[in-house]
Amino acid sequence: MTLDEIRDLIKTVCDTGIAELEVQRGENRVWIKRSGGSSGQEVTVTQSPAPTAAPFAQISVPPAAPSASDIMGASPDEADLTDPTLKSVPAPIVGTYYEAASPGADRFVREGDHIKPGKVLCIIESMKLMNEIEAEITGTIVKCLVENGQPVEYGETLFLVKPN
Amino acid sequence: MAFDLEQVRSRMPGNRIEWHPEIDTTMREAARLAGEGAPGGTIVGAELQRTGQGRQGRNWHSPEAEGLYFTQILRIDLPPRRLPVVTLALGVAVADVLKMLTGLSPDLRWPNDVMINERKVCGILTQLHDGAILAGVGLNVNQTEFPAPLREIATSLRIETGDTFRREALLAALATSIDSNARILATGGAVPVLTLFSAASSYVEGKRVEVDMPGGLVRGITAGLTADGFLRLQSDDGSETVVTAGGVRPIYD
Repeated sequence: MTLDEIRDLIKTVCDTGIAELEVQRGENRVWIKRSGGSSGQEVTVTQSPAPTAAPFAQISVPPAAPSASDIMGASPDEADLTDPTLKSVPAPIVGTYYEAASPGADRFVREGDHIKPGKVLCIIESMKLMNEIEAEITGTIVKCLVENGQPVEYGETLFLVKPN
Repeated sequence: MAFDLEQVRSRMPGNRIEWHPEIDTTMREAARLAGEGAPGGTIVGAELQRTGQGRQGRNWHSPEAEGLYFTQILRIDLPPRRLPVVTLALGVAVADVLKMLTGLSPDLRWPNDVMINERKVCGILTQLHDGAILAGVGLNVNQTEFPAPLREIATSLRIETGDTFRREALLAALATSIDSNARILATGGAVPVLTLFSAASSYVEGKRVEVDMPGGLVRGITAGLTADGFLRLQSDDGSETVVTAGGVRPIYD
């Protein structure tokens, strides 16, 4: 059974509200089960040769409006990162990237956070000068690209932001 | 001895000075004032800091009335790339004052720890906030002893000289020196600051050190400063490393 066919089946399950669907064709068997209430739902896809029931894929679907591509296609990250409207936040100086004001403190921002101009996104330490890097636009953090404690070069992209 | 704020104010009529009996950290209060648009030269000090701030959330031991703990707001117009050199300029500013007022010979451990006889007498933390530079200074003045974990690494002016010092005179001299060194950077660029720092620090060239780098501990010999003021290190494995942040410690073989 092809991915496209499975995708169509999942769409059918999601669109119709069917709780569970099992399709067998030749030696392939696909079992799709939807669970969860209004707060979220999970789609379990199991494909296996007909005689055995060993699952080879189990995929969770985010609560909000699951689509077939979310489940079977590229991950949301990859899909979003090619978005030409994304803006990058570059490092204004060379230094060390810190995601929080001090070890153990809350991160300044996480992926998915909504930001406004002036919001501190991270600190870059350069020679003991702690530079608070602030947002200049309104939008949503799509991707944090640097790991805590890593060196960054001048102009290196720190975040990708979806403006809105 | 109680801090005579009026005396300091009369010595420094051009500076806004706020002095607190007790505060969490002068950095936080200075950041708040900078956000409200406080002018360059504004100083926030305290007799006691409950959570004096060091690098990466470390604490600065700030016992009541024995040290000088303050943050000075600087407003100088510099491209972001040149800003870190401020750190070096501040170290030079403090070392100059201590040399002049105490007769001691301070050393500067890159980027700007002020050392006397290999122990730290002054820590300087710099933060860029809302377009202002916050220069936080913790100077050990009249302490006669330090708690056990600090005993081997910290010292005070009194321990080194046997004399007590008036913090008012030190503050006035430090604030003036910080201001003028920041001005040197703003008008003359990085070169004069790098030259002053290199003359005042034994760490710039030919010093055997170890450095905490993101990839782990690196050992080598220091080999001068880059144009941005970063420390070059000839590593033991033959490669050259540029240190942009992090703890540099001497190694004695």
